Amino acid sequence: MSYFRAIDPFPLESAEQTKLHEFYRHLGEGRLVTTRCAGCGATAWPPRGFCPACVSDRFEWVDLAREGTVHAFTVQETGLPAGFEAPRVFAIVKVDGHRVFTILTGADPGAVRVGQRVALAPLRVADDPTGHPRWLPAFRVASP
Amino acid sequence: MNEVALVGAGVSKFGVRKATYRDLIWEAGKACFDSTPGVRPGDVEGLVVGSVMPERTAFQSHIASLAAEALGIRPSALSARTEHMCASGTVGIRYAYAFIAAGLADLVMVLGVEKLNQPSGDEAILNMGTGVDREWEAAFGLTAPPCFALAAQRHMAAYGTSEEQLALVGVKNHTHATKNPNAHFTRGATLDQVLCSRMISTPLRLYMCSPITDGAAAVLLASGERARALTDRPVWIRGTGQALDGFQLTSLHEDYAHWPALRRAAGAAYRMAGVGPADVDLAEVHDCFAIAELIAYEELGFCKKGEAGPFVAAGRSDYGGDVVVNPRGGLIGCGHPLGATGVAQAAEVFVQLRGEAGARQVPDAALGLTHNNSGMGEHVVMLYGREA
Repeated sequence: MSYFRAIDPFPLESAEQTKLHEFYRHLGEGRLVTTRCAGCGATAWPPRGFCPACVSDRFEWVDLAREGTVHAFTVQETGLPAGFEAPRVFAIVKVDGHRVFTILTGADPGAVRVGQRVALAPLRVADDPTGHPRWLPAFRVASP
Repeated sequence: MNEVALVGAGVSKFGVRKATYRDLIWEAGKACFDSTPGVRPGDVEGLVVGSVMPERTAFQSHIASLAAEALGIRPSALSARTEHMCASGTVGIRYAYAFIAAGLADLVMVLGVEKLNQPSGDEAILNMGTGVDREWEAAFGLTAPPCFALAAQRHMAAYGTSEEQLALVGVKNHTHATKNPNAHFTRGATLDQVLCSRMISTPLRLYMCSPITDGAAAVLLASGERARALTDRPVWIRGTGQALDGFQLTSLHEDYAHWPALRRAAGAAYRMAGVGPADVDLAEVHDCFAIAELIAYEELGFCKKGEAGPFVAAGRSDYGGDVVVNPRGGLIGCGHPLGATGVAQAAEVFVQLRGEAGARQVPDAALGLTHNNSGMGEHVVMLYGREA
Protein backbone atom coordinates (compact mmCIF):
# COMPACT_ATOMS: atom_id res chain seq x y z
CA MET A 1 0.00 0.00 0.00
CA SER A 2 1.46 3.35 -0.99
CA TYR A 3 1.72 6.02 1.67
CA PHE A 4 -1.24 8.41 1.35
CA ARG A 5 -0.15 12.00 1.71
CA ALA A 6 -2.63 14.06 -0.35
CA ILE A 7 -3.18 17.28 1.59
CA ASP A 8 -4.22 20.75 0.42
CA PRO A 9 -1.65 23.36 1.46
CA PHE A 10 -3.64 26.38 0.20
CA PRO A 11 -6.38 28.48 1.84
CA LEU A 12 -10.10 28.26 1.15
CA GLU A 13 -10.76 31.48 -0.78
CA SER A 14 -14.27 31.39 -2.30
CA ALA A 15 -17.32 33.33 -1.10
CA GLU A 16 -18.91 30.09 0.11
CA GLN A 17 -15.90 29.24 2.24
CA THR A 18 -14.41 32.34 3.87
CA LYS A 19 -15.39 35.67 5.33
CA LEU A 20 -12.25 37.06 3.63
CA HIS A 21 -13.34 36.16 0.06
CA GLU A 22 -13.29 39.83 -1.00
CA PHE A 23 -9.57 39.91 -0.31
CA TYR A 24 -8.97 37.01 -2.65
CA ARG A 25 -11.35 38.29 -5.36
CA HIS A 26 -9.49 41.60 -5.42
CA LEU A 27 -6.12 39.82 -5.40
CA GLY A 28 -7.15 37.91 -8.53
CA GLU A 29 -7.76 41.34 -10.11
CA GLY A 30 -4.27 42.52 -9.18
CA ARG A 31 -5.27 44.57 -6.12
CA LEU A 32 -4.00 44.20 -2.55
CA VAL A 33 -6.83 45.11 -0.17
CA THR A 34 -7.37 44.77 3.54
CA THR A 35 -9.97 45.49 6.20
CA ARG A 36 -10.52 48.94 7.74
CA CYS A 37 -12.68 48.93 10.86
CA ALA A 38 -15.85 51.01 10.40
CA GLY A 39 -15.97 51.44 14.19
CA CYS A 40 -12.54 52.92 14.96
CA GLY A 41 -10.92 53.34 11.55
CA ALA A 42 -7.96 51.01 12.22
CA THR A 43 -6.52 49.27 9.17
CA ALA A 44 -5.26 45.74 9.82
CA TRP A 45 -2.87 43.43 8.01
CA PRO A 46 -3.73 40.70 7.35
CA PRO A 47 -7.49 41.32 7.11
CA ARG A 48 -9.47 40.38 10.21
CA GLY A 49 -12.83 38.96 11.27
CA PHE A 50 -13.37 41.53 14.00
CA CYS A 51 -11.42 44.48 15.30
CA PRO A 52 -9.29 43.70 18.39
CA ALA A 53 -9.31 47.38 19.40
CA CYS A 54 -13.08 48.08 19.43
CA VAL A 55 -14.51 44.58 18.76
CA SER A 56 -16.61 45.84 15.84
CA ASP A 57 -17.12 43.46 12.93
CA ARG A 58 -18.20 46.18 10.47
CA PHE A 59 -15.42 46.56 7.91
CA GLU A 60 -14.74 48.20 4.61
CA TRP A 61 -12.19 46.93 2.13
CA VAL A 62 -9.45 49.45 1.33
CA ASP A 63 -6.64 49.28 -1.20
CA LEU A 64 -3.02 49.06 -0.13
CA ALA A 65 -0.20 50.21 -2.42
CA ARG A 66 0.83 47.73 -5.10
CA GLU A 67 4.49 48.44 -4.40
CA GLY A 68 6.55 48.11 -1.24
CA THR A 69 10.11 47.65 0.01
CA VAL A 70 11.96 44.58 1.29
CA HIS A 71 12.11 44.75 5.12
CA ALA A 72 13.81 41.35 5.61
CA PHE A 73 14.46 38.24 3.53
CA THR A 74 16.12 34.83 3.45
CA VAL A 75 16.78 32.34 0.67
CA GLN A 76 15.85 28.78 1.54
CA GLU A 77 18.00 26.37 -0.47
CA THR A 78 17.04 22.98 1.01
CA GLY A 79 14.42 21.43 3.26
CA LEU A 80 11.26 22.85 1.69
CA PRO A 81 8.02 20.94 2.15
CA ALA A 82 6.90 18.61 -0.66
CA GLY A 83 5.40 20.59 -3.54
CA PHE A 84 7.46 23.79 -2.98
CA GLU A 85 10.54 24.45 -5.12
CA ALA A 86 13.97 25.64 -3.96
CA PRO A 87 15.58 28.10 -3.96
CA ARG A 88 12.78 30.16 -2.47
CA VAL A 89 13.07 33.81 -1.42
CA PHE A 90 10.92 34.42 1.66
CA ALA A 91 10.49 38.10 2.46
CA ILE A 92 8.76 40.58 4.69
CA VAL A 93 7.66 43.51 2.53
CA LYS A 94 6.67 46.90 3.93
CA VAL A 95 3.49 48.16 2.26
CA ASP A 96 1.85 51.38 3.48
CA GLY A 97 3.37 50.84 6.94
CA HIS A 98 2.16 47.22 7.17
CA ARG A 99 4.53 44.26 7.16
CA VAL A 100 3.40 41.63 4.64
CA PHE A 101 4.87 38.12 4.60
CA THR A 102 5.41 36.87 1.06
CA ILE A 103 7.74 35.25 -1.46
CA LEU A 104 9.61 37.09 -4.20
CA THR A 105 8.96 35.35 -7.51
CA GLY A 106 11.34 35.52 -10.45
CA ALA A 107 14.08 37.13 -8.34
CA ASP A 108 17.78 36.35 -8.60
CA PRO A 109 18.28 35.13 -5.00
CA GLY A 110 21.81 36.54 -4.94
CA ALA A 111 20.65 40.03 -5.92
CA VAL A 112 17.87 40.65 -3.38
CA ARG A 113 18.60 43.48 -0.93
CA VAL A 114 16.89 44.97 2.11
CA GLY A 115 15.24 48.23 1.04
CA GLN A 116 14.75 47.06 -2.56
CA ARG A 117 11.48 48.06 -4.26
CA VAL A 118 9.08 45.21 -5.05
CA ALA A 119 5.64 45.05 -6.68
CA LEU A 120 2.58 42.90 -6.05
CA ALA A 121 2.54 39.87 -8.38
CA PRO A 122 -0.45 37.68 -7.44
CA LEU A 123 0.49 34.00 -7.73
CA ARG A 124 -2.09 31.59 -9.13
CA VAL A 125 -1.93 28.29 -7.26
CA ALA A 126 -3.97 25.09 -7.58
CA ASP A 127 -7.74 25.56 -7.81
CA ASP A 128 -9.72 24.51 -4.76
CA PRO A 129 -11.48 21.13 -4.84
CA THR A 130 -14.60 22.73 -6.38
CA GLY A 131 -12.61 24.33 -9.22
CA HIS A 132 -12.54 27.85 -7.76
CA PRO A 133 -9.30 29.68 -8.75
CA ARG A 134 -6.91 30.57 -5.93
CA TRP A 135 -4.29 33.30 -5.56
CA LEU A 136 -1.55 34.14 -3.05
CA PRO A 137 -0.16 37.65 -2.43
CA ALA A 138 3.34 37.15 -3.89
CA PHE A 139 5.66 40.00 -4.95
CA ARG A 140 8.37 40.44 -7.60
CA VAL A 141 11.33 42.79 -7.90
CA ALA A 142 9.96 46.09 -9.27
CA SER A 143 11.09 47.44 -12.62
CA PRO A 144 13.51 50.36 -12.16
CA MET B 1 0.53 27.30 46.97
CA ASN B 2 2.18 23.93 47.60
CA GLU B 3 5.85 23.51 46.79
CA VAL B 4 6.52 21.32 43.75
CA ALA B 5 9.62 19.31 42.89
CA LEU B 6 10.93 16.94 40.26
CA VAL B 7 11.54 13.53 41.84
CA GLY B 8 12.37 11.46 38.76
CA ALA B 9 13.40 11.76 35.12
CA GLY B 10 14.20 9.54 32.17
CA VAL B 11 14.96 9.97 28.49
CA SER B 12 14.82 7.57 25.53
CA LYS B 13 17.60 7.33 22.98
CA PHE B 14 17.08 10.22 20.52
CA GLY B 15 17.67 9.77 16.80
CA VAL B 16 16.24 8.33 13.61
CA ARG B 17 14.77 5.42 15.51
CA LYS B 18 13.54 2.06 14.37
CA ALA B 19 10.92 2.20 17.09
CA THR B 20 7.20 2.87 17.27
CA TYR B 21 5.50 5.76 19.04
CA ARG B 22 4.60 3.37 21.87
CA ASP B 23 8.16 1.96 22.03
CA LEU B 24 9.42 5.50 22.67
CA ILE B 25 6.82 6.03 25.43
CA TRP B 26 7.91 2.76 27.05
CA GLU B 27 11.62 3.68 26.89
CA ALA B 28 11.24 7.10 28.52
CA GLY B 29 8.62 5.92 31.03
CA LYS B 30 10.71 2.97 32.21
CA ALA B 31 13.81 5.16 32.50
CA CYS B 32 11.83 7.62 34.62
CA PHE B 33 10.45 4.91 36.94
CA ASP B 34 13.96 3.39 37.17
CA SER B 35 15.17 6.75 38.52
CA THR B 36 12.48 6.72 41.23
CA PRO B 37 12.36 3.31 42.92
CA GLY B 38 9.80 4.55 45.46
CA VAL B 39 7.21 5.18 42.77
CA ARG B 40 5.41 2.49 40.78
CA PRO B 41 3.00 3.31 37.92
CA GLY B 42 -0.05 2.59 40.10
CA ASP B 43 1.00 5.41 42.48
CA VAL B 44 0.89 8.14 39.83
CA GLU B 45 -2.26 10.28 39.99
CA GLY B 46 -1.92 12.21 36.78
CA LEU B 47 -0.31 12.20 33.36
CA VAL B 48 0.25 15.05 30.90
CA VAL B 49 1.63 14.14 27.47
CA GLY B 50 3.26 16.72 25.20
CA SER B 51 3.13 15.72 21.54
CA VAL B 52 2.75 17.84 18.41
CA MET B 53 1.96 15.79 15.34
CA PRO B 54 1.09 12.16 16.10
CA GLU B 55 -2.10 12.52 14.01
CA ARG B 56 0.00 12.19 10.87
CA THR B 57 3.33 10.72 11.94
CA ALA B 58 1.86 7.96 14.14
CA PHE B 59 -1.69 8.23 12.70
CA GLN B 60 -2.86 8.42 16.29
CA SER B 61 -4.69 10.89 18.50
CA HIS B 62 -6.12 10.36 22.03
CA ILE B 63 -2.51 9.91 23.02
CA ALA B 64 -2.61 10.79 26.75
CA SER B 65 -4.83 7.76 27.32
CA LEU B 66 -2.70 5.61 25.04
CA ALA B 67 0.39 6.61 26.99
CA ALA B 68 -1.31 6.07 30.37
CA GLU B 69 -2.20 2.53 29.38
CA ALA B 70 1.28 1.85 28.01
CA LEU B 71 2.84 3.12 31.24
CA GLY B 72 0.43 1.36 33.60
CA ILE B 73 -0.87 4.66 34.97
CA ARG B 74 -4.58 5.03 35.78
CA PRO B 75 -5.00 8.79 36.23
CA SER B 76 -7.35 9.90 38.99
CA ALA B 77 -6.53 13.62 39.17
CA LEU B 78 -5.28 14.80 35.77
CA SER B 79 -5.02 13.38 32.26
CA ALA B 80 -4.33 15.65 29.29
CA ARG B 81 -2.33 16.17 26.13
CA THR B 82 -0.56 19.44 25.42
CA GLU B 83 0.00 20.54 21.83
CA HIS B 84 1.81 23.86 21.74
CA MET B 85 4.24 23.23 18.91
CA CYS B 86 7.88 23.06 20.03
CA ALA B 87 7.11 24.14 23.62
CA SER B 88 4.51 21.40 24.19
CA GLY B 89 6.67 19.61 26.76
CA THR B 90 7.29 22.59 29.03
CA VAL B 91 3.67 23.70 28.71
CA GLY B 92 2.80 20.23 30.00
CA ILE B 93 5.16 20.66 32.96
CA ARG B 94 3.44 23.96 33.78
CA TYR B 95 0.03 22.21 33.85
CA ALA B 96 1.30 19.50 36.18
CA TYR B 97 3.01 22.15 38.32
CA ALA B 98 -0.20 24.16 38.62
CA PHE B 99 -2.31 21.12 39.57
CA ILE B 100 0.15 20.12 42.30
CA ALA B 101 0.67 23.69 43.54
CA ALA B 102 -3.11 24.05 43.81
CA GLY B 103 -3.42 20.86 45.84
CA LEU B 104 -5.36 18.97 43.16
CA ALA B 105 -2.72 16.24 42.81
CA ASP B 106 0.42 15.06 44.61
CA LEU B 107 2.22 12.99 42.00
CA VAL B 108 2.02 13.62 38.23
CA MET B 109 4.11 12.38 35.31
CA VAL B 110 4.80 14.61 32.32
CA LEU B 111 5.91 12.75 29.21
CA GLY B 112 6.88 14.24 25.86
CA VAL B 113 7.03 12.06 22.77
CA GLU B 114 7.41 12.49 19.03
CA LYS B 115 7.88 10.02 16.20
CA LEU B 116 8.91 12.26 13.30
CA ASN B 117 10.78 10.03 10.86
CA GLN B 118 7.65 8.18 9.77
CA PRO B 119 7.72 7.17 7.03
CA SER B 120 10.58 9.66 6.42
CA GLY B 121 11.80 13.05 7.57
CA ASP B 122 9.91 14.63 4.65
CA GLU B 123 6.67 13.95 6.51
CA ALA B 124 7.95 16.04 9.44
CA ILE B 125 8.98 18.87 7.10
CA LEU B 126 5.49 18.88 5.59
CA ASN B 127 3.95 18.90 9.07
CA MET B 128 6.22 21.68 10.35
CA GLY B 129 4.16 23.98 8.13
CA THR B 130 1.27 23.45 10.54
CA GLY B 131 3.20 25.37 13.19
CA VAL B 132 2.97 28.63 11.25
CA ASP B 133 -0.15 30.31 9.86
CA ARG B 134 -1.54 28.10 7.06
CA GLU B 135 -3.38 30.88 5.22
CA TRP B 136 -0.81 33.69 5.39
CA GLU B 137 2.52 31.82 5.75
CA ALA B 138 2.50 28.05 5.23
CA ALA B 139 0.63 28.40 1.90
CA PHE B 140 3.91 29.87 0.59
CA GLY B 141 5.86 26.83 1.86
CA LEU B 142 7.08 28.44 5.10
CA THR B 143 8.45 26.22 7.88
CA ALA B 144 10.77 27.06 10.79
CA PRO B 145 14.21 27.56 9.16
CA PRO B 146 13.41 30.75 7.19
CA CYS B 147 11.77 32.33 10.26
CA PHE B 148 14.92 31.98 12.36
CA ALA B 149 17.06 32.85 9.34
CA LEU B 150 15.32 36.26 9.28
CA ALA B 151 16.41 36.76 12.90
CA ALA B 152 19.96 35.72 12.05
CA GLN B 153 20.11 38.14 9.09
CA ARG B 154 18.95 40.96 11.33
CA HIS B 155 21.32 40.10 14.22
CA MET B 156 24.26 40.03 11.81
CA ALA B 157 23.29 43.35 10.23
CA ALA B 158 22.62 45.15 13.52
CA TYR B 159 25.41 43.80 15.74
CA GLY B 160 28.05 42.44 13.40
CA THR B 161 27.40 38.87 14.51
CA SER B 162 29.46 36.63 12.23
CA GLU B 163 28.82 33.34 10.49
CA GLU B 164 31.68 31.95 12.58
CA GLN B 165 29.97 32.98 15.83
CA LEU B 166 26.79 31.24 14.68
CA ALA B 167 28.88 28.19 13.82
CA LEU B 168 30.47 28.16 17.29
CA VAL B 169 27.05 27.43 18.79
CA GLY B 170 26.89 24.36 16.53
CA VAL B 171 30.43 23.31 17.51
CA LYS B 172 29.72 23.72 21.24
CA ASN B 173 26.45 21.81 21.21
CA HIS B 174 27.68 19.01 18.94
CA THR B 175 30.73 18.71 21.25
CA HIS B 176 28.55 18.57 24.37
CA ALA B 177 26.43 15.85 22.74
CA THR B 178 29.49 13.56 22.52
CA LYS B 179 29.12 13.12 26.30
CA ASN B 180 25.41 12.27 26.07
CA PRO B 181 24.79 8.67 24.99
CA ASN B 182 21.10 9.50 24.35
CA ALA B 183 21.91 12.29 21.86
CA HIS B 184 20.99 12.05 18.17
CA PHE B 185 24.56 13.03 17.21
CA THR B 186 27.51 11.81 19.27
CA ARG B 187 30.49 12.42 16.95
CA GLY B 188 30.99 16.13 17.54
CA ALA B 189 31.68 18.74 14.89
CA THR B 190 34.57 21.07 14.06
CA LEU B 191 34.26 24.72 13.07
CA ASP B 192 35.18 23.79 9.48
CA GLN B 193 32.51 21.09 9.37
CA VAL B 194 29.85 23.53 10.53
CA LEU B 195 30.93 26.33 8.19
CA CYS B 196 31.16 23.96 5.21
CA SER B 197 27.87 22.15 5.84
CA ARG B 198 25.14 22.77 3.29
CA MET B 199 23.06 25.92 3.31
CA ILE B 200 19.52 25.46 4.58
CA SER B 201 18.21 29.04 4.65
CA THR B 202 20.67 31.93 4.42
CA PRO B 203 22.69 32.28 6.67
CA LEU B 204 21.79 29.08 8.55
CA ARG B 205 23.74 25.97 7.56
CA LEU B 206 22.86 22.36 8.37
CA TYR B 207 25.02 22.07 11.52
CA MET B 208 23.48 25.28 12.86
CA CYS B 209 20.04 23.59 12.77
CA SER B 210 18.40 20.94 14.92
CA PRO B 211 17.65 17.69 13.08
CA ILE B 212 14.41 15.72 12.63
CA THR B 213 14.47 13.36 15.59
CA ASP B 214 12.38 10.64 17.19
CA GLY B 215 12.41 10.46 20.97
CA ALA B 216 10.64 10.70 24.29
CA ALA B 217 11.34 12.00 27.79
CA ALA B 218 9.52 11.82 31.11
CA VAL B 219 9.68 13.56 34.49
CA LEU B 220 7.79 12.98 37.73
CA LEU B 221 6.51 15.99 39.69
CA ALA B 222 5.50 15.74 43.34
CA SER B 223 4.16 17.99 46.07
CA GLY B 224 6.73 19.08 48.67
CA GLU B 225 5.63 16.58 51.26
CA ARG B 226 5.55 13.68 48.84
CA ALA B 227 8.87 14.75 47.29
CA ARG B 228 10.67 14.74 50.65
CA ALA B 229 9.25 11.29 51.39
CA LEU B 230 10.46 9.93 48.05
CA THR B 231 13.98 11.35 47.84
CA ASP B 232 16.54 13.31 49.84
CA ARG B 233 17.46 15.24 46.66
CA PRO B 234 14.31 16.73 45.13
CA VAL B 235 14.81 19.31 42.38
CA TRP B 236 12.49 22.18 43.21
CA ILE B 237 10.54 24.29 40.75
CA ARG B 238 11.50 27.81 41.76
CA GLY B 239 9.99 29.94 39.03
CA THR B 240 8.09 29.85 35.77
CA GLY B 241 6.98 32.29 33.09
CA GLN B 242 5.34 32.16 29.67
CA ALA B 243 4.70 35.00 27.24
CA LEU B 244 3.37 35.49 23.71
CA ASP B 245 4.48 38.32 21.47
CA GLY B 246 2.60 37.14 18.37
CA PHE B 247 1.86 34.18 16.12
CA GLN B 248 2.39 35.42 12.56
CA LEU B 249 5.87 36.70 11.67
CA THR B 250 4.36 40.08 10.83
CA SER B 251 2.88 40.40 14.35
CA LEU B 252 6.25 40.09 16.08
CA HIS B 253 8.66 42.85 17.07
CA GLU B 254 9.64 44.62 13.84
CA ASP B 255 13.31 43.81 14.50
CA TYR B 256 13.53 40.00 14.55
CA ALA B 257 16.74 40.17 16.63
CA HIS B 258 14.53 41.25 19.56
CA TRP B 259 12.36 38.68 21.32
CA PRO B 260 10.42 40.64 23.93
CA ALA B 261 8.27 37.62 24.85
CA LEU B 262 11.37 35.75 26.01
CA ARG B 263 12.46 38.74 28.09
CA ARG B 264 8.99 38.84 29.70
CA ALA B 265 8.84 35.09 30.35
CA ALA B 266 12.33 35.13 31.88
CA GLY B 267 11.53 38.20 33.97
CA ALA B 268 8.47 36.49 35.43
CA ALA B 269 10.46 33.36 36.28
CA TYR B 270 13.38 35.30 37.84
CA ARG B 271 11.00 37.43 39.95
CA MET B 272 9.11 34.37 41.17
CA ALA B 273 12.35 32.64 42.16
CA GLY B 274 13.95 35.78 43.59
CA VAL B 275 17.08 35.26 41.49
CA GLY B 276 18.79 36.86 38.51
CA PRO B 277 20.65 35.65 35.42
CA ALA B 278 24.02 35.73 37.24
CA ASP B 279 22.73 33.07 39.65
CA VAL B 280 22.07 30.49 36.91
CA ASP B 281 24.65 27.67 36.76
CA LEU B 282 23.31 25.87 33.72
CA ALA B 283 20.72 26.67 31.10
CA GLU B 284 18.97 24.37 28.68
CA VAL B 285 17.97 26.85 25.98
CA HIS B 286 15.93 26.25 22.83
CA ASP B 287 18.68 26.16 20.17
CA CYS B 288 16.41 24.95 17.37
CA PHE B 289 18.79 27.09 15.28
CA ALA B 290 22.11 28.61 16.38
CA ILE B 291 20.70 32.13 16.23
CA ALA B 292 18.04 31.18 18.77
CA GLU B 293 20.71 30.30 21.33
CA LEU B 294 22.51 33.61 20.73
CA ILE B 295 19.35 35.69 21.12
CA ALA B 296 18.41 33.63 24.20
CA TYR B 297 21.72 34.65 25.91
CA GLU B 298 20.64 38.26 25.48
CA GLU B 299 16.97 38.03 26.38
CA LEU B 300 17.71 35.77 29.38
CA GLY B 301 20.16 38.42 30.61
CA PHE B 302 23.37 36.39 30.36
CA CYS B 303 24.85 39.21 28.26
CA LYS B 304 23.78 42.55 26.84
CA LYS B 305 21.77 42.94 23.62
CA GLY B 306 24.04 42.46 20.64
CA GLU B 307 26.89 40.85 22.60
CA ALA B 308 25.93 37.18 22.16
CA GLY B 309 28.41 36.55 19.35
CA PRO B 310 31.48 37.56 21.39
CA PHE B 311 29.91 35.81 24.44
CA VAL B 312 29.93 32.38 22.76
CA ALA B 313 33.29 33.03 21.07
CA ALA B 314 34.91 33.75 24.46
CA GLY B 315 33.60 30.46 25.88
CA ARG B 316 31.39 32.22 28.39
CA SER B 317 28.47 29.82 27.67
CA ASP B 318 30.63 26.72 28.04
CA TYR B 319 32.23 24.81 30.93
CA GLY B 320 34.44 27.22 32.87
CA GLY B 321 32.45 30.24 31.65
CA ASP B 322 29.61 32.31 33.15
CA VAL B 323 26.89 29.70 32.59
CA VAL B 324 26.99 26.29 30.91
CA VAL B 325 24.44 26.41 28.11
CA ASN B 326 23.03 23.15 26.76
CA PRO B 327 25.29 20.64 28.53
CA ARG B 328 23.28 17.68 27.11
CA GLY B 329 23.98 18.97 23.56
CA GLY B 330 20.90 21.10 23.03
CA LEU B 331 18.45 20.63 20.21
CA ILE B 332 21.29 20.88 17.69
CA GLY B 333 23.24 17.98 19.16
CA CYS B 334 20.52 15.91 20.87
CA GLY B 335 17.88 16.43 18.23
CA HIS B 336 14.45 17.97 18.52
CA PRO B 337 11.59 15.50 18.94
CA LEU B 338 9.22 18.46 19.35
CA GLY B 339 6.96 17.43 22.25
CA ALA B 340 9.82 15.63 24.01
CA THR B 341 12.27 18.54 23.94
CA GLY B 342 10.98 20.59 26.88
CA VAL B 343 10.69 17.47 29.04
CA ALA B 344 14.21 16.35 28.08
CA GLN B 345 15.48 19.81 29.10
CA ALA B 346 13.88 19.35 32.54
CA ALA B 347 15.33 15.83 32.77
CA GLU B 348 18.81 17.26 32.13
CA VAL B 349 18.40 19.88 34.84
CA PHE B 350 17.21 17.09 37.17
CA VAL B 351 20.37 15.00 36.77
CA GLN B 352 22.64 18.07 36.79
CA LEU B 353 21.25 19.46 40.06
CA ARG B 354 21.49 16.02 41.69
CA GLY B 355 25.11 15.62 40.58
CA GLU B 356 24.24 12.60 38.44
CA ALA B 357 25.22 13.94 35.01
CA GLY B 358 28.48 11.96 34.77
CA ALA B 359 30.95 13.12 32.13
CA ARG B 360 28.92 16.26 31.38
CA GLN B 361 28.32 17.29 35.02
CA VAL B 362 28.36 21.05 35.59
CA PRO B 363 30.45 21.44 38.77
CA ASP B 364 28.36 22.24 41.86
CA ALA B 365 25.23 23.09 39.86
CA ALA B 366 22.59 24.57 42.17
CA LEU B 367 20.29 26.59 39.90
CA GLY B 368 19.17 25.48 36.44
CA LEU B 369 17.05 27.20 33.80
CA THR B 370 15.10 25.79 30.88
CA HIS B 371 13.91 27.82 27.89
CA ASN B 372 11.49 26.29 25.39
CA ASN B 373 9.86 28.23 22.57
CA SER B 374 7.16 27.90 19.93
CA GLY B 375 8.53 30.00 17.09
CA MET B 376 10.22 33.32 17.78
CA GLY B 377 7.12 34.89 19.30
CA GLU B 378 6.33 32.59 22.22
CA HIS B 379 8.57 31.49 25.08
CA VAL B 380 8.41 29.44 28.28
CA VAL B 381 11.06 29.65 31.02
CA MET B 382 11.43 27.43 34.09
CA LEU B 383 13.86 27.76 37.01
CA TYR B 384 14.83 24.78 39.12
CA GLY B 385 16.90 24.75 42.31
CA ARG B 386 18.48 22.31 44.72
CA GLU B 387 16.92 24.30 47.55
CA ALA B 388 13.18 24.84 47.89
